[in-house]
Amino acid sequence: MTNATHPVPPALERMLTSTLGLGLAALAVCGLGALSSPDQFLRSYLFAFFFWVSVPIGSLGLLMLQHLTGGRWGALLRRFFEAWSRTLPAAFVLFLPVLLGYAKIYPWAHPPADDKIIAHKALYLNGTAWAGRAIFFFALWSLFAWLFSKWSAEQDRDGLTPGLSSRFQALAGGGLVTLVLTVTFASIDWGMSLNPHWFSTIYGVIYLVGAVLATMAVCIVVLSRMAHEEPFLHVMRKDTVHDLGKLLFAFNMLWAYMNLSQFLIIWSGNLPEEIPYYLARINGAWGALGLFVVLFHFVVPYAILLSRDVKRTLRLLAPMAAWLLLMRLVDTYWTLGPDLAGHHGSEAAAFHLHWMDVLAPVGLGALFVHLFLRQLKSRPLVPQHEAELQTEAAHAAPAHA
Amino acid sequence: MASTPHLDPASAPIIAPGHTFSSVTDKIASIVLARRTPLHWFLGFTIAFSVAQLVLLTIVRLLFWGIGSWGVTVPIGWGFDIINFVWWIGIGHAGTLISAILLLLKQEWRTSINRFAEAMTLFAVVCAAQYPLFHTGRPWIAAYWLLPYPNTMGLWPNFRSPLIWDVFAVTTYASVSAVFWYVGLIPDFATLRDRAKNKLMAMVYGIGSMGWRGSARHWHNYESAYLLLAGLATPLVVSVHTVVSFDFAVGVLPGWHATIFPPYFVAGAIYAGFAMVLTLAIPLRAWYGLKDFITDRHLDNMAKVMLATGLIVAYGYAMEAFFAWYSASSWEIFMIRNRMFGPYGHMYWALILCNVVAPNTLWVPRLRHSHAWLFFISLVVSVGMWLERYVIIVTSLHRDFLPSSWGMYQGTVWDWSFFIGTIGLFVTLLYLFVRFLPAISMFEMKTILPGARVEEHHS
Repeated sequence: MTNATHPVPPALERMLTSTLGLGLAALAVCGLGALSSPDQFLRSYLFAFFFWVSVPIGSLGLLMLQHLTGGRWGALLRRFFEAWSRTLPAAFVLFLPVLLGYAKIYPWAHPPADDKIIAHKALYLNGTAWAGRAIFFFALWSLFAWLFSKWSAEQDRDGLTPGLSSRFQALAGGGLVTLVLTVTFASIDWGMSLNPHWFSTIYGVIYLVGAVLATMAVCIVVLSRMAHEEPFLHVMRKDTVHDLGKLLFAFNMLWAYMNLSQFLIIWSGNLPEEIPYYLARINGAWGALGLFVVLFHFVVPYAILLSRDVKRTLRLLAPMAAWLLLMRLVDTYWTLGPDLAGHHGSEAAAFHLHWMDVLAPVGLGALFVHLFLRQLKSRPLVPQHEAELQTEAAHAAPAHA
Repeated sequence: MASTPHLDPASAPIIAPGHTFSSVTDKIASIVLARRTPLHWFLGFTIAFSVAQLVLLTIVRLLFWGIGSWGVTVPIGWGFDIINFVWWIGIGHAGTLISAILLLLKQEWRTSINRFAEAMTLFAVVCAAQYPLFHTGRPWIAAYWLLPYPNTMGLWPNFRSPLIWDVFAVTTYASVSAVFWYVGLIPDFATLRDRAKNKLMAMVYGIGSMGWRGSARHWHNYESAYLLLAGLATPLVVSVHTVVSFDFAVGVLPGWHATIFPPYFVAGAIYAGFAMVLTLAIPLRAWYGLKDFITDRHLDNMAKVMLATGLIVAYGYAMEAFFAWYSASSWEIFMIRNRMFGPYGHMYWALILCNVVAPNTLWVPRLRHSHAWLFFISLVVSVGMWLERYVIIVTSLHRDFLPSSWGMYQGTVWDWSFFIGTIGLFVTLLYLFVRFLPAISMFEMKTILPGARVEEHHS
């Protein structure tokens, strides 16, 4: 595909180089850290990866969702979702350190001989099955991403034929079912099994909701960087921004709802096999971090996003989205941190933020954004022959009038 | 009722072409204002009203005899009363979802189905309320146990118990749904008042319309009130069944204590609710000739919502089964084995057949567009959702931690009579509703007519 009609904004062009530089530099420093403490490197790296891979996963989910539901917001962001989802094959390459070093971070890889609980799960939690599933997940997700992007290119070329439309719908419907199931098991494999004694049936849902929230946040931020340039200048409308704001708001509430459900049920039940998870997270410094997450991931953003003006004005919405993205990272740290530090249920887990816990997400994030921008560049920034964007754009006032 | 549409329902209009403002009003108002009540109405009403008498009969027996006339026993202290309560409350959810959330999501197709879906919600809540009220055995003093009020003995309900949260959740739900429904009716009451054929009807509908004259100021206030109520009702869609799920999940019983319960119960409620809306909509549109308003597109959309929520429910079952094994807890593993292969195993597999296998046929467009099949599936789902509550409640209770206190449960004839009676009550109320109130919102239907669209021209 050529993008002669829609040249990429210069800001994006500059970011392409800077993110690559930042990503490689930060990961190189982490690589040096790995020489002295390989275990800590793997822990920090897994945390960073678990967070960042949620964006391509969430993108694939929202891409399928918008093919099913329609709506202008989805058409506007479709190229972002497609570009993010096309980073999945590269994400697999970035997953390789975890795949090769899993035995150093997951306790089930070397269980104590008398641990009956881990022995019971050995059929599921063993290196071969775990790695096999990871490869399968990435292969399947990449296939989905490839098909959606291929067909989207067909739409650019020939328009949205009825045949193409029904192909989109069929793949999105079946794909969404498959995606929800595979992401659930991926989250169990990569996140929950860090504490192989603990389980929670809502875990996969919490990860999925977090993923779409992070995706929405990233896409709003990226959109705000390009909203003043073509082709967005032409198709942006205030009510579409409003829809994006409402979705961000709704996903954040959904995130809070799922987490409250898990917390309330486990806290009330107070069962020995479940409550250690929260004991490690609501006491001491981890508890303070948890309170911070409750207040600044949910309470304060909720109050701010109640405002109609914030939801409708990209200039105000984008900082909120960026903040929520940061909070997703902090929440991921709170979720994985005590288990990564090896505290499975002691009442006051020691809190120790390693410098690689900061640098690894920065490096991996920069690389992911670089990969995303490269993919984004390869196609027109909005889908062509898209009824949602064309018919209404003609007689609508632009968002920044 | 089966038909093979020539058009793809997914892209069909949400109102049949050719209608004008007056034809919409004529068509809908005529059902209410007709002098002659159709024979089939009398027939259906008589049957439903007779069945509803079972409620009275059961209550009389219950108050004389006590709840010993029910099948509840140790260790199954929760039986039909809570199964039926959850079933009815769940059915009500589609009404709130359609009227509030779909309104906020700007889904215009909701317009022709919201009125009777909201009525269905209210009637379902009326039926649901019977069970917690009468399971106390002494309903006239139940209020003292449920409602917190400052009393001289300093007795308070247990605020940590989700059952008390339920009292608040359900009463809020009932009152907000009733207000929402009534507010939505006001402009239509005025239309009926103006078209009434005798003084009495004009007076009754006139009182209902609260002096509505349709002025611009009225409409302005009305629109903001309606939108605010929709905003208020939206959290209720989620909160009520979340609290219902807490009734179970906050306890420690295997099979009840699962963190997936809140979202999975909410999805199940919407699932059951849409099944009931379809069960009612398909005959209603055929008998009263409302196919122009409740179109194939509506049925197709509702079928898709039902399929999607059914898949979420299936996800819940899958997670329960997987984590029962993954937990490595002997209680959890026993619970799922007992549920699948124990004495109630046939109920579990019937539930899987009704709630997971059957609705997946709706992926096939041909089946989804067949009204007979859709009607059948909607009934199957209603049965499946009842079985779900039966399986969750009974199989978890009947064999808990202590084998010496295991037992079996079976509903008695009075359990069944109460349940069947409330179905009769529900249908009776629906018959009255269809006869005396406009089943489809007249003024909202006009807003989706092509003539209602104001073209904006920027010069």
